[in-house]
Amino acid sequence: MSTSAIQTTQSFITEEPYYEPVADEIAVFTAAYRNQLPVLLKGPTGCGKTRFIEYMAWRLERPMVTVACHDDLTASDLIGRYLVRGGETVWVDGPLTAAVRQGSICYLDEIVEARKDTSVVIHPLCDDRRVLPIEKLGDLLQAPPEFCLAISYNPGYQSVLKDLKQSTRQRFIALEFDYPVAETEQTIIQKESGVDAGLARQLVKFGAMTRNLKGSGLDEGASTRLLVNAAKLAAEGIAPVVATDTAVAQALTDDLDMLKAVHELSRSIF
Amino acid sequence: MSENSRQNFLNRLRIRKDLEKFTAGALSRHGDIDALVARIATLERPQQDFIYEWAELVARANTELAAHFVYRSADAFEQMPRDGVQDWLDDAMTTFDNRGLGFAIEVLESVDEFARRYGERHVRCDFQDASTFLRHFVRGLGGRELRLTTDDSAFTDTEALYLPDAVNLFPDSEQNFSLYKLTAVHLWAQTWYGTWRYGVLERLQANYDDELLLRIFNNLECIRLDACIERDFPGLARQFAVFGHTGEEGDQLWARWRERAEALLRPGASAEDSLNLIGSFAEMTPPPPKPYQGAMFAARVRQTLMSRVEREKSEFQKAMQELRGKPDDDGDGAGVNVPQDVEIEAKESPGEGDAETTLRLSIDGDEVNLPEHLRDLVGSIMQDFGEIPDEHMEPVELGDYSDELLAQGADENPALNAEGDDKSTFTYREWDCVRQRFREGFCTLRELGVAPGDESFIDDTLEKHRGVLKSIKRSFEAVLGESRLQRRQSDGDDIDIDAVIEAIADMANGREMSEYLYTRYRNQERNIAVMFMVDMSGSTLGWVNDAERESLVLLCEALQMLGDRYAIYGFSGRTNKRCEVYHIKDFNESYTQDVKQRIAGIRPKAYTRMGVAIRHLGQMLQSTQARTKLLITLSDGRPEDYGGYKGKYGIEDTRHALLELKQAGIHAYCITIDNEAQEYLPHMYGTANFAVIDEVSKLPYKVADIYRRLTT
Repeated sequence: MSTSAIQTTQSFITEEPYYEPVADEIAVFTAAYRNQLPVLLKGPTGCGKTRFIEYMAWRLERPMVTVACHDDLTASDLIGRYLVRGGETVWVDGPLTAAVRQGSICYLDEIVEARKDTSVVIHPLCDDRRVLPIEKLGDLLQAPPEFCLAISYNPGYQSVLKDLKQSTRQRFIALEFDYPVAETEQTIIQKESGVDAGLARQLVKFGAMTRNLKGSGLDEGASTRLLVNAAKLAAEGIAPVVATDTAVAQALTDDLDMLKAVHELSRSIF
Repeated sequence: MSENSRQNFLNRLRIRKDLEKFTAGALSRHGDIDALVARIATLERPQQDFIYEWAELVARANTELAAHFVYRSADAFEQMPRDGVQDWLDDAMTTFDNRGLGFAIEVLESVDEFARRYGERHVRCDFQDASTFLRHFVRGLGGRELRLTTDDSAFTDTEALYLPDAVNLFPDSEQNFSLYKLTAVHLWAQTWYGTWRYGVLERLQANYDDELLLRIFNNLECIRLDACIERDFPGLARQFAVFGHTGEEGDQLWARWRERAEALLRPGASAEDSLNLIGSFAEMTPPPPKPYQGAMFAARVRQTLMSRVEREKSEFQKAMQELRGKPDDDGDGAGVNVPQDVEIEAKESPGEGDAETTLRLSIDGDEVNLPEHLRDLVGSIMQDFGEIPDEHMEPVELGDYSDELLAQGADENPALNAEGDDKSTFTYREWDCVRQRFREGFCTLRELGVAPGDESFIDDTLEKHRGVLKSIKRSFEAVLGESRLQRRQSDGDDIDIDAVIEAIADMANGREMSEYLYTRYRNQERNIAVMFMVDMSGSTLGWVNDAERESLVLLCEALQMLGDRYAIYGFSGRTNKRCEVYHIKDFNESYTQDVKQRIAGIRPKAYTRMGVAIRHLGQMLQSTQARTKLLITLSDGRPEDYGGYKGKYGIEDTRHALLELKQAGIHAYCITIDNEAQEYLPHMYGTANFAVIDEVSKLPYKVADIYRRLTT
């Protein structure tokens, strides 16, 4: 007897998510999917990795299971475990097992955050075997052709402790993501938030300025996501400088001098 | 006499009586005391209270000083707000502590001068206050990274922005700051919008010393850059407009210039256009410089630019060579170089239109992303030339650039080499509980070494405490083992079979079932840094000293096993000028022969000035990376030193130092053998953070045991 613990995070995506293609990533992903190859998405935070997977799930008409990895995430959190129910022990599928059984797209977000043993359990799923061994059940789950595994990681803030092992990364098709070029980013901001072209262009410029600061005081520049957030605030009638202060500056840093610098950069544009 | 004036009269009598009492008569030697009392009487009540309170406090240190303070206090309050008066008085007290009465009185007497400086300091914009912000800000605007430094006049050499020490033009600090910022932005604009392009400098070359010509060029560029900024940075342009005024006449002159230089206002206008116009402005009256405009030193720019161009050219060529693929170097010399067509194309060059420049790199016609490390380099070259010059694209022989590069890299940052002559002397402040103020820079502390002692002490100790050591080790082993697999958790990796069976049994018996049915592995990192601060005061002479050393030996043995990072320092001193800490082992050292010898060499020295030692070691602890930081003091009594550092004063300063530690997230613990410690330790360390050992001989065992309990 088996049940699934996943009801809420797994779903068909019914409405087309807004996604602005940057290069030929859609074609590459589709080809990888057809050939049952797992995909690795690299790129800084907030540049559209998760949105891309959502879009692909919609396009390929597959349900999608997202697992946000954290440093306490164990292999059994992914695969499943026995729970006691009514005096009996009952096996409960983890999100990965559920995704394999149902032929979903399983997306492991920020995989390096998870414990080391976690990244190893996906190995047999990622090569030509495409099986998920479930030790506790003594079961070897064969993945259906519709199943697809995608993982993401951000090479920008890797510490020595959190690096993706070669044995893991060499099983994937890797797609690199970066902040979109100015025109695309402007379109994205406009479409997502509804602000006019002028304000969107200024926000893009502001974003580029904060990205200049990466490495000289900031760990990361403003992501597209943050710029969209700021634009959404601005679309509600918040003054642009206040919107960038709250949505971008405070989100990026706590350092007072840096906050002031980002604030002044915003003031220099708006 | 009306009721009001009667009140006034009584009031003055009271003031006079009180002040004379505080200053023990010293006040009456200072001339017209009636006039003084009359002035103090006109002050507001809180100000009078301030004078009273501090006259009394200062008088405890010196009555003459108190009299001077009272005498000048009315002047001070007339010229400064309360904070300023406080600064003035603190300054005087610090001077009194450090240099004596004469100098302190001088400080009090020069209250007018102090008030003037205080006023300036609080409205002007200093380089020091603004530089961190400005560096971030200018970096954010774009372009190559610019150093910020001070000089008599404001100018740029395209690698650094030289700014005046301070701006003090306006009565308002906000305005001064804005002007300072705009000055920096204007200079940045010169580097970004191509004022100092290579081609411009070449054409200017003959006229580097022609002041008039440079001045015209500067003005024209100012007009052009203002227009550029107006296009790209509307927010900044508004601020420039506010600060751009030069008086009525000046503004008219500028307007006339702008009219004639209309071509420069158009997008796409370059510094070369400014050059072309210089001739037609020679006869015009030059307008006064704008407040943010700054100077131009073309010769300095040229020098900087030339060396950078050379350096970046070879860097670029090297990078291109790598992109093209390395030439084949097999011995016969007939290297087969696979030529690839590498092209870099800039979509928009800086200075024309938008602030972003998109650089595209194509190899054999295929577009690829520009590698990160090349982006800054190419950007910088584009800033100098507006394009990638053809000669940069020419292939060169590899190998002749590296030495040259290294040499330049070395002298790039001379400031780095010039710091810290005497690394082992530090100054610290001390808390004065009487004045409720810090005495700034009051204690001078030196870090000293310990003369190595006889190593046989270590072996003897290990032999003597063999049994104790065994049990210490066993208990520490338990620390390592016990938390690996945690049983009976509400959530975990696996089922705890024992717990489940028990739960099922419970349920069958009709009792409530436990929900703690899982086992889980816990992260086993013991991320602890611990600092041991050992009392080396004279009172430890004899068996206390022996016990301390023995404790350290056992502790080190045990800590080696746990793998925690630890440091050991001794402390002692005589007076605030000669505080000392003794280095025995720092965090990065391992437990070597040297450390063992130093432990054996710990000897009683002088007194116990604890506050300064805690501040020093606390700072050291703070700069190490660890999740848990612990400062453990081994002591034999209360803080005590020459010069009033005893009783309440010493205890309060130590307590204050410990509070500072706590704020920094460091836990403090004290192990003492003083039987009277109950009286003062709870006040200093808090009720739960100390242990009193009643028998000195038990110290070695206890210290290890306490440490184990503290860290699990």
